[in-house]
Amino acid sequence: MPDQSGAAPALIELDAVTKRFGDATAVDAISLAIPRGELCVLVGTSGCGKSTTLRMINRLIEHSSGQIRIDGQQIRDVDEQRLRRRIGYAIQSTGLFPHWTVARNIGLVPRLLRWPAARIAARVSELLALLGLDEDEFAGKYPHQLSGGQAQRVGVARALAADPEILLMDEPFGALDPITRESLQDELLRLQARLHKTIVFVTHDMDEALKLADRLVVMDTGRIVQQGSAAALLQAPANAFVESLLGGRDRGLKHAALTRVAERMRPLTDAQAGGPAVDTLGVSADDSLRQALSLMLWHGVDSLLVSDTQGQVVGSLSLQDAVVERNTRA
Amino acid sequence: MSNVTSDTCALPPAAPNPVLLVLTALAAGAIVGLPLVSVQPNRIMPGEGLTLWALGGPMALTGALMVLAGLTWLAWRPTRRALSAALTLVGLCLALLPWALVVVAAAQIEPGMSSARIGLGAGLWALLFLLLLMLLELINRLALSPLLRWGLLLGLGLSLLLALTGGGLDGLALMREYHGRRAAFHAALRYHLLLVSAVVGISLLLAAGLALAMRRWSGLRRGTFSVLSVLQTIPSLALFGLLLAPLAYLAVRFTWLGDLGVRGIGWAPALIALVAYSLLPMTRNAFVALDEVAADVTDAARGMGMSPAQVFWQVRLPLALPVMLEGIRITAVQAIGLAAVAALIGAGGLGTFIFQGLGQAAMDLVLLGALPIILIALLVDGLFSALAEQLRRAQGRGETAHA
Ligand SMILES: Nc1ncnc2c1ncn2[C@@H]1O[C@H](COP(=O)(O)OP(=O)(O)OP(=O)(O)O)[C@@H](O)[C@H]1O
Ligand SMILES: [Mg+2]
Repeated sequence: MPDQSGAAPALIELDAVTKRFGDATAVDAISLAIPRGELCVLVGTSGCGKSTTLRMINRLIEHSSGQIRIDGQQIRDVDEQRLRRRIGYAIQSTGLFPHWTVARNIGLVPRLLRWPAARIAARVSELLALLGLDEDEFAGKYPHQLSGGQAQRVGVARALAADPEILLMDEPFGALDPITRESLQDELLRLQARLHKTIVFVTHDMDEALKLADRLVVMDTGRIVQQGSAAALLQAPANAFVESLLGGRDRGLKHAALTRVAERMRPLTDAQAGGPAVDTLGVSADDSLRQALSLMLWHGVDSLLVSDTQGQVVGSLSLQDAVVERNTRA
Repeated sequence: MSNVTSDTCALPPAAPNPVLLVLTALAAGAIVGLPLVSVQPNRIMPGEGLTLWALGGPMALTGALMVLAGLTWLAWRPTRRALSAALTLVGLCLALLPWALVVVAAAQIEPGMSSARIGLGAGLWALLFLLLLMLLELINRLALSPLLRWGLLLGLGLSLLLALTGGGLDGLALMREYHGRRAAFHAALRYHLLLVSAVVGISLLLAAGLALAMRRWSGLRRGTFSVLSVLQTIPSLALFGLLLAPLAYLAVRFTWLGDLGVRGIGWAPALIALVAYSLLPMTRNAFVALDEVAADVTDAARGMGMSPAQVFWQVRLPLALPVMLEGIRITAVQAIGLAAVAALIGAGGLGTFIFQGLGQAAMDLVLLGALPIILIALLVDGLFSALAEQLRRAQGRGETAHA
């Protein structure tokens, strides 16, 4: 249904969308509106219909009933190949073609769109650089010569190749070790800050979801249970299922992970400020509250100095500041 | 490639290579104890076997044994360099073998003795066989690239061809049989190759169709494979027999079929039977190859917006091709051998000489049919293996150790 609030209509709209496989209902009348430029994360237990929802958006699976619209147009009315070439798609196993080089893999969609060769080559170089892959080293390699993290970067580059407005990602970092995963998450956030794609992202990993999501959509047995910002969901989970999915009693820490130290610290007065943070225990203003709490626990202290990116002390954070939000919202 | 080589050189010397040691010992035994050739006054009279000692005296025997001793020494500490030297040595021995025969023929057959002939003895066959096994072992150990392997085989083949066409080997019994039926031999060779090509081509088309149909309608799978497996178990002669009556009937009923040469015997039943035998390996490989292509790869291909045709031609087929080539290789080698049996029902081909020779108790005539069949089979086998491997490498999927 078109947005009646008068705001700009969402780029991706799902309207009472249902998918049945035979007698089983995988996705049950879900409605979802994803505005342009938003990173929307679908979470839920295994088999709840996340992948099915995602794959209906690019018609890899046809929905049984309801409507899916992109930019106001029903996707049923668009040629499916043309639709998919406008939508980036990245999956956990990368799905890179093993018989093609990295460069050729990345250039796949531009080639399908019949870009001239020179433009494809330039775009491939650009994407390799964007994803932090050295062109001389990687362009000619085959997928089996890449590490998991590198292959996933190539997968993301391929999804971005034709500069699609929409990106569908199905557990893209699910098979990576925690450190690589985190660096790719940071990379994605960095890219997103620059490219402002509309991203639908499926994950099992709640920390990943909380970290990435502009909007978090919690699904259970084919239905949407709750959606909203990560902080909103943490603060007011709709029911026990959402609460346990969001970490149960760890919720406090998960919420702390979403809050930056800068939001809670006491800025130093001008007289105190400016000294370098040598020898004193400190955190950066950009660190999360969770990291600050962890430092306090570990070192048995109840306050920390806060420094900015240049290493200048800009404030202090006490345990009290960290735990209780002050009324005076700075 | 180059740094792999240097890595291997830096390894500590490997343990002695038992395969090479045993093969050289056996070769020494063959040289010392077995007759290498036999000299027959004519086609019928049994020949007199001659050992290397009898042929060349102590000089020749010592020389040959020294070569083998050298090989043993190299096999004792098989570094990459030693193995390369051994490969060169074995290659040279094989290349020189026909020329040694030229020398022997010149010494043993006086000019004018047009019916005298030289038969190849047990020792020579054993030596040839053992040297070929050594060659194989060395090629595998050294993991020679397909290109080098083919260069090597080409060199050996060329040496043999030169010796054969030079006339120096005309005294061999085999060559006497050849010269006696030259035109027939070439016709049979052409016919054999034509039959095999037709079998491979037709079964490839049928198998591709069947494989695609089975992928489309999964219900077909079990039935198709059962039928093909049953076909495979029918003995070849029985299958020829089974085809005799229906084909003869068809030829009479539809005269245009008869005009084409379709009869109860001849090429038609041979072709049909050989295609029937070829269908199982060909279809199985084609189906498995197409079906085994990773689902996530084709899923991504569709997700990127490739059309079904693009997914098939650019992704599924290229990834399946190496395994399909394997099917073609198995089928072709099998058909080359089976086509010999088809000579029994008048289908012609190189098998004709085998059965004639058996009838006349002329072993050299049997060889005239059998040797080319073996050579062609080996050649085709090597060609398709190399092709599949080359393809894998071109697709970046060669084993990383050799890449
Ligand atoms: N092609 C299909 N045919 C029949 N059932 C299917 C098919 N694809 C998915 N399903 C079923 O639909 C339901 C939802 O599957 P889906 O793949 O969307 O789950 P998911 O949330 O992505 O799970 P996971 O987190 O394990 O990937 C499951 O019960 C699954 O068995
Ligand atoms: Mg899934």
